[in-house]
Amino acid sequence: MEVNVTRRQFLKLSGAVAATLAVVELGFDEKSAKAKSSEFKIAKIKPTPTICPYCSVGCGILVYATEDDVVYTEGDPDHPINEGTLCSKGTTVRQVYTSEKRITKPMYRAPGSSKWEEVDWEFALDKVTKNIKESRDKAFTHMKDGYPVNRTDNIAYLGGAALDNEECHLLHKFFRAGLGLTYIEHQARI
Amino acid sequence: MADYIKFVDVTKCDGCRACMVACKNWNDLPTVTEEYSGSYQSHEKVNAHTWNVITYNEHTTANGGFEWLFRHQSCLHCVEAACEKACPEDAISHTKFGSVVIDHDKCVGCGYCTTNCTFDVVELATYKDKNGKEYRKAQKCTLCTDRLEQGLQPACVVACHTDCLVYDEKETVLAEAEKRLAKIKERFPNANIYNPQGIKGTTTVYLLADKPSVYGLPENPKVPLSQVVWKDYAQPLGKAMFGATTMAVVGAVIANAMKKDKGGHEEGGRDHE
Repeated sequence: MEVNVTRRQFLKLSGAVAATLAVVELGFDEKSAKAKSSEFKIAKIKPTPTICPYCSVGCGILVYATEDDVVYTEGDPDHPINEGTLCSKGTTVRQVYTSEKRITKPMYRAPGSSKWEEVDWEFALDKVTKNIKESRDKAFTHMKDGYPVNRTDNIAYLGGAALDNEECHLLHKFFRAGLGLTYIEHQARI
Repeated sequence: MADYIKFVDVTKCDGCRACMVACKNWNDLPTVTEEYSGSYQSHEKVNAHTWNVITYNEHTTANGGFEWLFRHQSCLHCVEAACEKACPEDAISHTKFGSVVIDHDKCVGCGYCTTNCTFDVVELATYKDKNGKEYRKAQKCTLCTDRLEQGLQPACVVACHTDCLVYDEKETVLAEAEKRLAKIKERFPNANIYNPQGIKGTTTVYLLADKPSVYGLPENPKVPLSQVVWKDYAQPLGKAMFGATTMAVVGAVIANAMKKDKGGHEEGGRDHE
């Protein structure tokens, strides 16, 4: 068979072969063709240190938060108590903010009612204030066995581990000296 | 760069599950609720959205007592990974950290890796695209490769408070493993270091308190020969054939076109080469 190829035809053919090879090659070598491009999720966030709200150990936690979300929480490696580690409960602390089950409005269940309903803050605070005042006044003792005691036995106060030292101090002052409570307790004494 | 590996000393694990939560927290994985199985163990095994699980082995001691044998179960990142061999899309590869990762742009959700994984730790997750159409991607532990790239340790290791999980240089870790093994030999006579050589070792090395089978691990795993043949011989050959066929077809089309072209030239006679 006589092969009769002109210069233009030869160029056309070799160009086509090169193009085909290139396509086939690309298809084979995706590994090097694609670089990883996912962004590091805490890249531009300055963490905020906080204290774990759960038990009385008081582990340090770093919170990585954006404007409107908490994207990650981790044990604070510089904290002397936990040195970066956390238990399974402390590790879930992100959900305190992100959980769908979180209640973000005050809820009110009227006496005798079987369901909770959303109320505004003004109503909730008024209600609490009124009830505290009523209960306190109903059982307020000025004198006991000839001594002034100025206390109420009708209300108890229970604090939680989410409170820090200074908050506990203030609340203690408020409830004991301010309102005259004697039943003051804290959850975090395990 | 020195080789780094993850070391799991199961005798130090107290089953707190912080590693499980830390993993979900870092990787933004959703909750997976399973039925109560009669055990304290939370999940039967790792799944597509739970990349590590503490297994609670109920064990009777020599004198009739009871104890838990915990194990942090997750991808071991085999040096010779069966999942990598099984993947027809080349979506699974080793990083420079020794971790075995899945490229989700390439994964087509065929599930070959899930059936071939030596330790049964890969699973398919089902997602929905914006048209409501379901698609699947294989999911498993990444050894927090994104964290390693930034010089951080894996999230599970950071959370662990008993030093059960350690991420450090290979030599240091293996030396430490030998030391710990000597220490626990008296209490656990069957204790051993699990770094199976049949798959050229793993990037997660265990110090087990009992025989691997007690923990549901294969005693001497190997990548099946069929997988090696498939990946290392059949697939490249197939691709070469595909390439050759493509070129032949394209070549034929062009040659045909040129033939026609030539015919035209002969008639018109306007060839000026």
